Order: sequence, then structure tokens, then C-alpha cells
Amino acid sequence: MDEIRVTIDGKQLSGHPGMTILELARENGIDIPTLCYRPELSLLGACRICVVEVEGSRTLVGSCHTPITPGMVIHTHSPKVLETRKVIVELLLASHCGACFMCDKANICELRQVAAELEVGLPRFEIKKRYYPIEDVSPYIERNLSKCVLCRRCVRACRQIAKRDLFAVAYRGFDAKVVVDSDRALDKEACRDCDICISFCPTGALSKPRKLSEEKKGKPLVITS
Amino acid sequence: MSKVATNPENLLARLKQAQDRLGYLPEECLAEVARSLNMPLSEVYGVATFYSFLSTRPLGRNVIRVCKSLPCYLKNSRMIVESIEDKLGIRPGGTTPDGRFSLALVNCIGACDIAPAMLINHDVHGDLTPRKISRILQSYE
Ligand code: SF4
Ligand code: FES
Ligand code: FES
Repeated sequence: MDEIRVTIDGKQLSGHPGMTILELARENGIDIPTLCYRPELSLLGACRICVVEVEGSRTLVGSCHTPITPGMVIHTHSPKVLETRKVIVELLLASHCGACFMCDKANICELRQVAAELEVGLPRFEIKKRYYPIEDVSPYIERNLSKCVLCRRCVRACRQIAKRDLFAVAYRGFDAKVVVDSDRALDKEACRDCDICISFCPTGALSKPRKLSEEKKGKPLVITS
Repeated sequence: MSKVATNPENLLARLKQAQDRLGYLPEECLAEVARSLNMPLSEVYGVATFYSFLSTRPLGRNVIRVCKSLPCYLKNSRMIVESIEDKLGIRPGGTTPDGRFSLALVNCIGACDIAPAMLINHDVHGDLTPRKISRILQSYE
């Protein structure tokens, strides 16, 4: 197979046909932030955080799903790219619920990590927050969709890795939501307790229900004097 | 959206057919379509709730769809919605108790040249004014 030569951030690099800009960049130690992308899942291009500048292209392109073509000249950290990424994260955070310091998953949250890396500060945009009550009917998954950023990683992971296909996105625009069946609370019949979607969720939207009594099973509190 | 092992074109056509037949898409009907196309119900529900011309709730005999996109908005579509709300006593998403009308807000219906515009069932009505609205509404039983 022929090599494809491109320039990324001034470096001459070559990759094989079919490779995406992101893959080639990462292979060469150039870091581009991503959120909806996961190497194990199909390419989607939902979040736009991975945008880069390609000379001659009218708009910025999503590096996670754009294949390299011969002679491409790519800038992954130009001022325009950085400013755009920052606004994208700000917009995601603007409709994202509440404050990180109230969230169990704050310090393993990929959204927060990306925001920190891009030095996104206090929200500039005042828009409606997404609010959904917590769904905790299932003994296996607790869904707190107020924290969901619609990256669709759980949808793809359940379909492509767990081979169960429980989730899909319903409604449109601001109301878009990851649903089970016809927007029913997830029940145990459907889900087989694989935890795969939980491990794929970049935010605190999916977690294992915490069973405090089980954590202390067989260890009654004994007070000795 | 990842590829589902079925033809999504069939899905839309099937949903449209069912909607024409039943007036809306009840859950059993979505489940039936999902089964026959071998798709998860969530995916079918997702498509059914994405399109504003499909409905998962029963609708009135006549469905009013007022355009809420920018060109109509600039020609004061807000006023049109308000006057329909006043006349029928329902809000967008609602149906009159006698089942005569349902009201919905939709994106551009391709009638920007006669903005503000709306559809009632399959008829386009444009250059709307509150005065005109009463007359138009009267012609639907
Ligand atoms: S629940 Fe998590 S994985 Fe699923 S779409 Fe929302 S943020 Fe992404
Ligand atoms: S990571 Fe590329 S669009 Fe989300
Ligand atoms: S904007 Fe209203 S019909 Fe196009």
C-alpha cells in the first residue's frame, strides 16, 4: 500500500491509506483532545472537540473521522483551533448540569479534564440546563442523564461491544436524550450487567448503583470499649 | 449513528404508513415495526420522536403546524401562535378537548416567501395575520 504524506504542525509525516488525522497525529506524539471518539467504537464525529485546521478547507474538520489525503497541511493547535475547541467545551458545559464539586465522578470525568486542559473558566453562556431525574430502577446501572453530553459512547458500546443494543438517541435538538425502548427506565431483563456502557461514559452520567450495605457485608459495626 | 443491519429507508416509510393509518404511532405499533425490521425498539422510537411529522401521541383531526424558524419569526410568527392559542385555548403540543385541532411548532416548511406560514394537515397557509387565522380555522371541521 502506498504511503500518504502529510504535514502536521510543520512536521512531515506519512501514514497508510484510510488512517485518520487523529490516528496519525497520536502515533507521532501529537495530542489532540477527543470526547466522543474511542478507538474501539465506530467513528461518529459528534462532539467536535477534536477539530483541526486543514489548509484549503473552508471549515475546521473533525480529526477523529477525517482520513488523511496526500499533501494535507494540518494545524492541530493554531489559535483558531484552540479558540474553537474552547467554545465547544464552553457550550457543552453551559447546558451540563450543576457544579463539578458536587459530582462523585469529577476527578475521573473526561469532560472536566478537557475543560481543564483548554483552560475553560467560568461559564460565559447562560442557557437552560438539561435536567432529568436519576434513573435507578436497574440494579446494574444508574443513569443520571442531566450529566449526559450526548457523545453516544454508551449507545455504540452497547451495540458494538456488548452486542445488546439497548440505547438509542430520541427526540431532537435540545431535547435529544439517550433512551431505552420507548424512553422507559432501564430494567434488569434488558441489561445483563456487563458494565461496558459505564466504563465508556466520559462523564458521571452512568455509574454502578452504590449499595452501601453490600460494601459492609459481614462486617457489623462492633463497638469495643 | 452507527449502521443498523436494516435499511433505515424502510423504517421511515413504515412509520409514515402506520401514522397515516392510525393517526399516530402507539407503542405497540413501534414495537411491531421494530420486530419486523429486526431493529431495537429504542432506535425506532428515536426516529419516531425525531421527526415532527410523526407523533407518538394521539393527535386531533386537524394538525396545525406553525413554522418557528427565523424568517417566519422575523415576520412575527409569535403573534400567529398567540392568536391560535387564544382562539383554541391550547398551547403547542396540545389538542382541543373536542379533538378538532392539535397545535405544533415546526421548523421551516419551505414557505418562507409567504412568511409567516403554517400548515394545516397538508395545506399551506401563508402571509398570516390574526384576522386571517379565524377564517382559516373555521374552514376545518
Ligand atoms: S450517558 Fe455517558 S456515554 Fe452515554 S451519551 Fe451520555 S455522556 Fe455519552
Ligand atoms: S472526538 Fe472527534 S468529534 Fe468528538
Ligand atoms: S422559515 Fe417559516 S417557512 Fe421557512
